[in-house]
Amino acid sequence: MSEWPAAAVDYVQAITDTKLVLGHRYAQWSLAGPSLEDDIGGSSAAQEEVGHVRQLFRKLESQGRDGDWLRGDRDPEEFANASCLDAIDGDWTAYMATIAPVDRAAWYMLDAIDREDMEGMITKMGEDEYFHLEYHDARLETLAAEDPETLQSTLEETIPSALALVGPEGLDDDPLVDAGFTNQSVADVRERFIDHYRDLFAETDVSLEGVDWDAPDADAWDETRRRVGEGGVRAEDLVQIRGERNAEFAIE
Amino acid sequence: MSTKQRTGGTSGPARKSEFVERRRSDASTFEDRLWAELDEIPDPHIPVSLVEMAMVYDVSADDGHVDVEMSFPCMGCPAYDMIKNDVRSCLRVVDGVDSVDVDVVWDPVWSKDMLTESVREKMRNSGISL
Repeated sequence: MSEWPAAAVDYVQAITDTKLVLGHRYAQWSLAGPSLEDDIGGSSAAQEEVGHVRQLFRKLESQGRDGDWLRGDRDPEEFANASCLDAIDGDWTAYMATIAPVDRAAWYMLDAIDREDMEGMITKMGEDEYFHLEYHDARLETLAAEDPETLQSTLEETIPSALALVGPEGLDDDPLVDAGFTNQSVADVRERFIDHYRDLFAETDVSLEGVDWDAPDADAWDETRRRVGEGGVRAEDLVQIRGERNAEFAIE
Repeated sequence: MSTKQRTGGTSGPARKSEFVERRRSDASTFEDRLWAELDEIPDPHIPVSLVEMAMVYDVSADDGHVDVEMSFPCMGCPAYDMIKNDVRSCLRVVDGVDSVDVDVVWDPVWSKDMLTESVREKMRNSGISL
């Protein structure tokens, strides 16, 4: 495999870490849904996200990233997951309003990659993501009627976090497009993402007027971790991601 | 591009029997024997072999070393490592094989279109909808 630009490795790392933490969040909430259908959907999504991570790890290892480091032998501050996944402390509405925008943002970023040697892998991931995103939107629409206040207040936090994962607006040029790694600029992906949620909630009781659509502040944006500010997953999450408690049962 | 658009592209040949036969058509006599060995490995979830499931994309042998290219119907397959180990274990005991590498590929993307009618019938008889 040819060498990617350094910025492309960081870009894929952020998608991968977001999917890694997302997979764990799906799993953690997979038996807490309001119905068996929600539980099954969440369990299935957890399995698929971790499956995506397994393949993305292979790509990142081919670019020189250490396998043990990728699989969790690092500090929380070294993960480049979307910041809103660091912790989900609310109820099920807050959970849905957190994972949905992040899963969509991560997919749009993957879909923007224009590499022949990744085309099949990304297409396969898209087959899974189609169902994730359809399910999320259907659920967000029902929650917009049932619990609009919680949904709205959570989206005001999580949409800017997802936009930070995509990247800030106003960049004059996009190095990944210039390098031929992506064929959709950050500005294109942001527009696609923003338009989707404006349309989705247009006829609902949820107002997105309080969302900071201009986030993140480019000057405060961490281009490696694709977020604003410090923080990271909690220590207990890292124990789970690393599989520390069950390390003795690993198949070599 | 939407997920549907991206997945609506080239995700495999229209008819699967052709896919497996085409992939196997240029095999040497020895490689064809290796294909036959792999055709004995059952899919852990479905009562057909890995070859019948069109998961084996290519087998090439060179001076005792064998490279196998394969794919998976499900990227999150929980039997991913087990199946790869099955492939290696199956071929390593064949006379003339010293080493085996298994590479997982996603091009072409595995598709139900790759399955023959007889395999579809086996799956339906086992209660698996297609």
